[in-house]
Amino acid sequence: MTTTDNRISAWLACPECEAPCLDRQLPKKAELRCTRCGVRVKIASGRHSLQPAWAFATAGLFVAILANVEPIMTFDVAGDTQSNHIVSGVIELARQGYGPVAALVCFAGVIAPVLHLTAIWYVASACCLRRRWPAVHRVAVLIEMLEPWNLVPVYAIATVVAVVKLDMMGTVDWKAGALWILVLSLCSLCAAEAFDRELVEERLEALK
Amino acid sequence: MTDAARLQWAQAMVVTGIVLYVPANVLPVMTMTVVGTVEPLTVLGGVEELYDSGLWPMAAVVFLASIVVPFLKLASLSWILLMHGSPLAQRRRGTLRRVVHSIGSWSMVDVFLLAILAAVGQLGALAGVKAEPGGFFFAAVLVCSLLAAEFYKPRMIWQTNSEPTR
Repeated sequence: MTTTDNRISAWLACPECEAPCLDRQLPKKAELRCTRCGVRVKIASGRHSLQPAWAFATAGLFVAILANVEPIMTFDVAGDTQSNHIVSGVIELARQGYGPVAALVCFAGVIAPVLHLTAIWYVASACCLRRRWPAVHRVAVLIEMLEPWNLVPVYAIATVVAVVKLDMMGTVDWKAGALWILVLSLCSLCAAEAFDRELVEERLEALK
Repeated sequence: MTDAARLQWAQAMVVTGIVLYVPANVLPVMTMTVVGTVEPLTVLGGVEELYDSGLWPMAAVVFLASIVVPFLKLASLSWILLMHGSPLAQRRRGTLRRVVHSIGSWSMVDVFLLAILAAVGQLGALAGVKAEPGGFFFAAVLVCSLLAAEFYKPRMIWQTNSEPTR
């Protein structure tokens, strides 16, 4: 296994301002900061496996199915009952003529989280299995781009607020879907956290 | 895309965002029918309603996420863009950009809220939620500020007028 230990000092580009920073060996938990803008250039995280990221991504993908299939809540006014899914909001917004808003909700609430988890799953499994799968590098860039769009945690907060508001209008009951959304947001956060960029780069480099 | 074009796109997006911020907050985002009475709600009105029902922590979250964050994001982006090319406060601009980037997505709370509430549609004559044009403007403000931050790369903070921009 290659580690940073046998790497000779070289120049690294700061990810933020692109200033050259002199690379050096780091003791465990230490970090290298850019001398110009002060951003962390690299950290000796002590992680040596991408399996947690792989596991969280796999779990997340299963939970994503449940979160989208199970109803989030049921709403009842004077005998009329209705159960809500994530997509029912998207459909209703589109039906009322707010297509762009519906597209935004659909992308940030359904498509981006699933794509983000799939991309993490793909790259992490390639690294763990040491396989040279096609376009792995491009998928790794995609993860970076999708991360700010994975807004499931924000959706979870919005669900809580929505239940409070609907409670003023009628009877609201939580359903299993709400729990799955919560689990999905935890899985996404954990997968993103365990997906160590440096370790991935190192592994992908070794595969070449 | 050249850096000069990136700067122009970012400026255009911020100006558009500031212009759209006005209708986004003045126009109602949805109308709620509660026990037969129809009431239009602006973003601030929705916060007020939450506060009145005694749930002030929740009202605070929505207020921060949907009014303070978009405003701060537009304000700090304009400051960063106005300071472009100056050698002053570069480090501070960098920090501010990162903070804005990390809290920016929380303003989506209001759009998601609109989607969940609108899903109710019309339930009999007594209750219903309908989306209104304000929601469209609100979503547009979010997209504009997001694109502006995307066009203006952090490394561009460190370009000064003395060295030619590529």
